[in-house]
Amino acid sequence: MLRRTLAAGVALCAFTAPSLAADDKLVISVYGFAQDAFKEIVYDPFEKICGCELVVETGNSVERLAKLEARKDDPEIDMAVMSTHDALSAARKGITQSIDVSKLSNFDKLYDIAKDPLGDHLGIGYTFYATSIAYRADKVKIESWSDLFQDDLKGRVAFPNVTTNQGPPALYMLGKAMGDDAPSLSAPIAEVGANKDDILTFYVRSSQVAQLMQQEEILAAPIGRFAWGAYPKMDMNIAWATPKEGQTGGMNVMILTKGAKNEDLAYQFMDYWLSTEIQTKLAEALVDSPANAEVKVSDEVAANLTYGEETVKNLHLLPPAVILDNRETWLAEWNDKVGQ
Amino acid sequence: MFQNRAEALALALPAVVFAAVVFLVPVGILLSEGFRMEGAWSLSAYVDFFSKPLNQTVFWRTLKLGAMVTAVSAVIGYATAYAIVTLPPTARGRMIGLVVMPLMISPVARTYAWIVILGRTGFVNQVIVGLGLSDTPVRFLFTETAVFIGLLQLFLPLMILSLISALENMPRDAVPAARVLGANWLQVFLKVILPLTREGLVIGGTLVFTGSLTAYITPAILGGSKVLMLETLLYQRVTVANDFASASIIAMILIVMSFSANMLLKRLATARNRR
Repeated sequence: MLRRTLAAGVALCAFTAPSLAADDKLVISVYGFAQDAFKEIVYDPFEKICGCELVVETGNSVERLAKLEARKDDPEIDMAVMSTHDALSAARKGITQSIDVSKLSNFDKLYDIAKDPLGDHLGIGYTFYATSIAYRADKVKIESWSDLFQDDLKGRVAFPNVTTNQGPPALYMLGKAMGDDAPSLSAPIAEVGANKDDILTFYVRSSQVAQLMQQEEILAAPIGRFAWGAYPKMDMNIAWATPKEGQTGGMNVMILTKGAKNEDLAYQFMDYWLSTEIQTKLAEALVDSPANAEVKVSDEVAANLTYGEETVKNLHLLPPAVILDNRETWLAEWNDKVGQ
Repeated sequence: MFQNRAEALALALPAVVFAAVVFLVPVGILLSEGFRMEGAWSLSAYVDFFSKPLNQTVFWRTLKLGAMVTAVSAVIGYATAYAIVTLPPTARGRMIGLVVMPLMISPVARTYAWIVILGRTGFVNQVIVGLGLSDTPVRFLFTETAVFIGLLQLFLPLMILSLISALENMPRDAVPAARVLGANWLQVFLKVILPLTREGLVIGGTLVFTGSLTAYITPAILGGSKVLMLETLLYQRVTVANDFASASIIAMILIVMSFSANMLLKRLATARNRR
């Protein structure tokens, strides 16, 4: 009996053991967002072109970064996409390698800010987004980031939590409005702390803001442009602010893992994703704003994206090194002044 | 006999190995992380954790809300359960069905409903403003009140069901007998009903208290980051800061709180019994 049980156990183990990696298999690690669209526009056509198998792993940045780090010496993932600061963190941990841009035929078509945001070509921008304030134009007026704390918005504004990707850039712009844009963000964090009772909630998900806006709980909130698509449909007078201090935002980059088993396929895939054709399709599906400057879209599509040379040039992005080096301090200060 | 025993052990072995490998060992590793500091065993991570004012606030808030939800659900639960057990069988079945029904709906859906009900333009505020109790809508969302209401609604059915089964097992004549002998309703409750149904109260109380401590969705949606509870703090530490040490400390605190609550409730019940 015992022997039979053991035999069954061994058989089970053999069955679940990982199968050996195929030579023509590319493993990528991406955000879980809009995967249906990505499959249709990017993954399926690419598999046909390369005649290879594309394995897609999804998850939030922390999980994916932890996995990359755990498999650092024997990476299963060949390329990944993440925010600039997560990519820089991966680079500092020695998980990634410089990208040989001469192997990317579409590299020269990219906007300048996307070409080398991390230095040493450790990451290549493939999309970015603006962050500004969505507000009810029929009820309030927003001309500056500091207008978030006007009397008419008491208790009617949502602010991104410092732990989100929108939080630090929004604080940075608030600091600019206060005349103190030091990377410590201590002035804007103190300002948010002083006004915390007038802020309805510190949101962690963009979808939550759309719901609060729809229910008329809030009249204004700083959001990323990628989430803007839901607002014009609400049939309320919601506008995208162009504050005098400018707009902020974020960028996502592609990275190549050190020791990637299928480097050639990874290059082919990155080049494909950056091509004018694919970047145009992703833009038209309102999935990602294009980093490829050759992409042309209709005015209607452009209105829902972060699009065009002028817009891109005027984004005040927080440098990834600043985010990475200050993140813990911001969180501690936030918990101290706002979190209580 | 020996043969049977060996066979029984062999049969249990896969389940035991499975439970050990996928549950006990990982949980052990996770919890032990909180007791390690730079490679040595130490309690300093716990000292650090409790020295931070935010963590203290969150700890007391979790304990307070858990206790309040348990106490209020016991009061409402006794009244409801007593009313239900005195009904004729058909009506009783229907009422129990109504109590059980919310348990069949996902907590996410139930919690989202509260966002609508408690919102500025929601039902509660319409009543408050309509009756002239306040000129402007009262802010409920993202406050402790909202979390309290959400948790109470989430776990009250568990208390009612535990108390119904306890009250059904109580001798039918006990209450009339006490009344005939001149006890008022408070005495009936304290001296007859409570001692006879203490098992149900302990089970219901433990379910409600542990449930309130470990609920994630309700405090996350109705409280957000302004009303952090231990569960939402745990999530924040792991997903934002990748700080598994704090997470394992919080997990340990939650386990200790749950077990202590169960022991405390049992102790209270038996103490009353001895008297």
